[in-house]
Amino acid sequence: MAEQENRSAPVTRRDFLRQGSRVAALTGLGGVAGLLASKLKAETLVWQIDPAKCLRCGRCATECVLKPSAVKCVHAFALCGYCELCTGYFVPEPNELNTAAENQLCPVSAIKRRWIEDPYYEYTIDETLCIGCGKCVEGCHRFGNGSLFLQVRHNLCLNCNECSIARACPGDAFRRVPVSQPYLLKTSYSHG
Amino acid sequence: MPASDQQSTGHDSPNPNDGTPVEEMSALQKNPERSKLPSGSMAIGRGQTAFSRRRFIGGQCAVLGVAALGNIATGSIFAVAGRGTRSDNSENPFAYRVDRFEQTDPKLIGYVEARRFKSPCAEPRRMAIGGDERIYLAGEKRICVIRPKGSVAAEIGLAAPPQCVAVANEVFYVGFKDHIEVYAANGKRKAVWETLEGNPYITGLTVAENELFAADSGNRVVIRYQLDGKIAGRIGARDREAGMVGFVLPSPNLDVETRGDGVIYVNNPGRHRVECYSVAGDLLKWWGKPSAAIEGFCGCCNPIGLALLPDGRFVTCEKGLPRVKVYNANGEFDCVVAGPESFRENARAGAGSTSDPARIGLDAAVDSKGNVYVLDRVTGNIHVMVPKAKSDGAR
Amino acid sequence: MTMRGRSFYSLMLSGAAAAWNAVAEQRFPPPEFESGHQLPVTTVPPPRALWHEYADVAVLLLCLGLACYFVYRRRSRRSVLWLSVFSLIYFGFYRKGCICPIGAPQNVALGFFDPAYAVPLVVAVFFIAPLLVALFAGRTFCAAVCPHGALQDLLLVKPVKVPSWIETGLSVLPYIYLGAGVFFAAAGSAFVICRYDPFVPFFRLSGGLTMLTVGAGFIVVSMFIGRPYCRFLCPYGALLRLASLVSKWRVRITPDFCTKCRLCEESCPFGAIREPVPPPANPVELAPDRRRLGLFLIAMPALIAVFAFIGNRVAAPAALVHPTVSLAERYLDPAKPPPPKVPTPDSLALERADHDPASVLSDAARIRRRFSRAGWWFGGLVGLVIGVRLISLTLRPVRADYEPDRGACFACGRCFMSCPNERVRLGLLSPSEVPGAEPARSNTPPVAAGYIGKPKTAV
Repeated sequence: MAEQENRSAPVTRRDFLRQGSRVAALTGLGGVAGLLASKLKAETLVWQIDPAKCLRCGRCATECVLKPSAVKCVHAFALCGYCELCTGYFVPEPNELNTAAENQLCPVSAIKRRWIEDPYYEYTIDETLCIGCGKCVEGCHRFGNGSLFLQVRHNLCLNCNECSIARACPGDAFRRVPVSQPYLLKTSYSHG
Repeated sequence: MPASDQQSTGHDSPNPNDGTPVEEMSALQKNPERSKLPSGSMAIGRGQTAFSRRRFIGGQCAVLGVAALGNIATGSIFAVAGRGTRSDNSENPFAYRVDRFEQTDPKLIGYVEARRFKSPCAEPRRMAIGGDERIYLAGEKRICVIRPKGSVAAEIGLAAPPQCVAVANEVFYVGFKDHIEVYAANGKRKAVWETLEGNPYITGLTVAENELFAADSGNRVVIRYQLDGKIAGRIGARDREAGMVGFVLPSPNLDVETRGDGVIYVNNPGRHRVECYSVAGDLLKWWGKPSAAIEGFCGCCNPIGLALLPDGRFVTCEKGLPRVKVYNANGEFDCVVAGPESFRENARAGAGSTSDPARIGLDAAVDSKGNVYVLDRVTGNIHVMVPKAKSDGAR
Repeated sequence: MTMRGRSFYSLMLSGAAAAWNAVAEQRFPPPEFESGHQLPVTTVPPPRALWHEYADVAVLLLCLGLACYFVYRRRSRRSVLWLSVFSLIYFGFYRKGCICPIGAPQNVALGFFDPAYAVPLVVAVFFIAPLLVALFAGRTFCAAVCPHGALQDLLLVKPVKVPSWIETGLSVLPYIYLGAGVFFAAAGSAFVICRYDPFVPFFRLSGGLTMLTVGAGFIVVSMFIGRPYCRFLCPYGALLRLASLVSKWRVRITPDFCTKCRLCEESCPFGAIREPVPPPANPVELAPDRRRLGLFLIAMPALIAVFAFIGNRVAAPAALVHPTVSLAERYLDPAKPPPPKVPTPDSLALERADHDPASVLSDAARIRRRFSRAGWWFGGLVGLVIGVRLISLTLRPVRADYEPDRGACFACGRCFMSCPNERVRLGLLSPSEVPGAEPARSNTPPVAAGYIGKPKTAV
């Protein structure tokens, strides 16, 4: 009988310790939850590019965990000059202003050119082709109005905890935005 | 069922014949060692675990050592990673390559920079040179009057940011976005002209003997004013029926110049040309072609600024590949005043980097001796360019 | 896709449109088309709707509940297996391994240390729910809900026993990895655990060559060594291990009582089954262990201090993984190369630093200080983990039966069927066939009696 008590005593102590630790762990977890609750946001944050900070370095095409990248070129039509010679569409010294592949700047021919009226043309992005390299963005930014710019497309983006493009972005242009306002669009010039 | 369950989980028993429970049990019974050990658990408690515990501790010490080494090693790894990850993909495979146009053939450069000075006001836009050789610079919310050497002679504060300026005798005209004001040379405002209708965005002014021309980028037209502020006509408006495409302006960069001989010169950036109109509004002639090469106008919409040399030649300013060039009276390329290599920062700052399209590119003005003053809107520098050989200046 | 995006446009930008119109009159006007051409609108395809995220939470909670039910009530390995297949498909291949709790400690750490970052509700639930379950029912999350675990579990074809000294040596890694993850998240807003996750590239079917190679390595290894990531690396597993050490219920091999037949001994491919250790007959035997314990307890603060120092020293170079610190370093480097003719991402970053050196340098200094502070804590944690591991080796467990180690057991249920008592329970074996049943019962009645209550509560 005495032997039995000796043997069962440490077990009980262990159980007591275990229960105590469990209660402590539960309290701790509750504390973490409580602290989180004060900072909690029902709204998820998503990644987006601030077009004003974008340096058009090409890393959006190479660094995204998705291939092709979830970053695509988008067009703010209200800023576009509808140029006949679009530097976002044509290579710097095109042979001719036509849609021949050798004249196109886009490496995947994702920009579509459509005649509107003399001398205006409309340029639209085929996002199923676009790889987000930003070549056209640099062309448009350098010579034109900068109406082409890069944005994370949220129908594609996996919303990684740490965006792998953001880590490599030389312009520090990526930031988390609330999911209800998931785009940082260029809309218009404001001057005055 | 239990057997297949085991199979499906991929569990591989060490005993080869454990197909059925019965076999398993009998195999156990056949294996004397298996059934012996549990009863000798004291042996496990003392001999085996104690032995393995010593090994654990040994292993743990090894782990400790490895961890310490590893900690130091990771230090150097991080140091390498911090730099290394950058260097291995430092090239942009999708770079927009215009570098071959960024270096000008020195043989083509006909001017040399005599001096440069910083604009006294922020956000300079356009400038004009008066008869007294003074520079009138429109920027921020003022007009700065600068002596040719760079010192500030006067500053005239304004209520709104000016876009452009033109100088006549005794007075100067300041173009705001939607109207023009007249100032006396001493800075006193003499008149405020009527606000323009439509989408006005005045970006260029030039004054002749008894009339003034304002380039309205917003309405894409040049407005002919009488000096009392009355509008005498509109030049270059779009008229498809008459076959006039009009001024194609993706950005507010329309400029107008005149020598006062009844002809005005207007840049048409979207069509990459300089157009000559009679004051009555007839297109007399035009010249210019799109090309990133030195003899053409680069990009989508150039030139963005004009100036007239006393000998009848033209000075043109471009953005994107920021360069200032001289064309002869027939519109043939003559020489380069300053190439993109003189405006490195300007070249990088495209329209997309600023919310204000009037804050990029260059502007030029010419004094009576044929020196070209180039305003770099990005850096705020004014470069004073003099012809390389004065004797060759009028070749 | 475009059509879909456009239809969403009005929904998404109704708020922004008002602001847009307000500044619209100020912009430089686009051409006025005589043909009356209307400008198209920029499409803004929305992110996943919030209800999708809540659906993830619901699936998680459901799976956790089912896992507990399968492990404790049904005691069915097959059910657990099918549930893990479902989890692999849903959380793995459908949700691409994100959202998962493995990276969640970093979110929580960042939430505490970065005032600008708020932990999304869904992430908070994913962090807390499996831990809460583990406090009561052990690592049922690992068994059937975690896609990483499921993938490795299903790949296991020929388990090889890991020598116990390797197992013990490597068992400190998860804690250190967890510490490192929290360290980088708190100090540098970096998510190393997510970045170096070996399986997510497979779920996504895309990724860098290095990570795919590492992932392939893990997959090959996991064919022979049970759950290598879970056992030797998983940082969330480290938390779950701690939680399940004190769990209310535990997985038991036998539904009834242990006959010590040793049939279950080899049934665990993860080396979690511990053999019985009777209490020492003679207290003198414990003396060396007690001495060792005392020694380690005294050495512990020194160990922690040494590691904290090392951690602090490592933090300075570790800060270089932060882009801003790295940029500041390169900017201040006197031997930095001249700007190239065609700008590279590097030269663009340097150009940015050149425009506003003050802010980049002050940011970098701030981040460095944070790293250095966090380095003390991280190093201290490493010392503590190693110290506790050393101490735990000197502690002598007392076990009456063959039973899974509380911390190491993944609750996969593989061992159930190897127990003859389980087979008796299921009616696959008659009680008389159970080997060693009688001797075991007669040999150790007190211990068996002491434990007999347990399975009743657990089952």
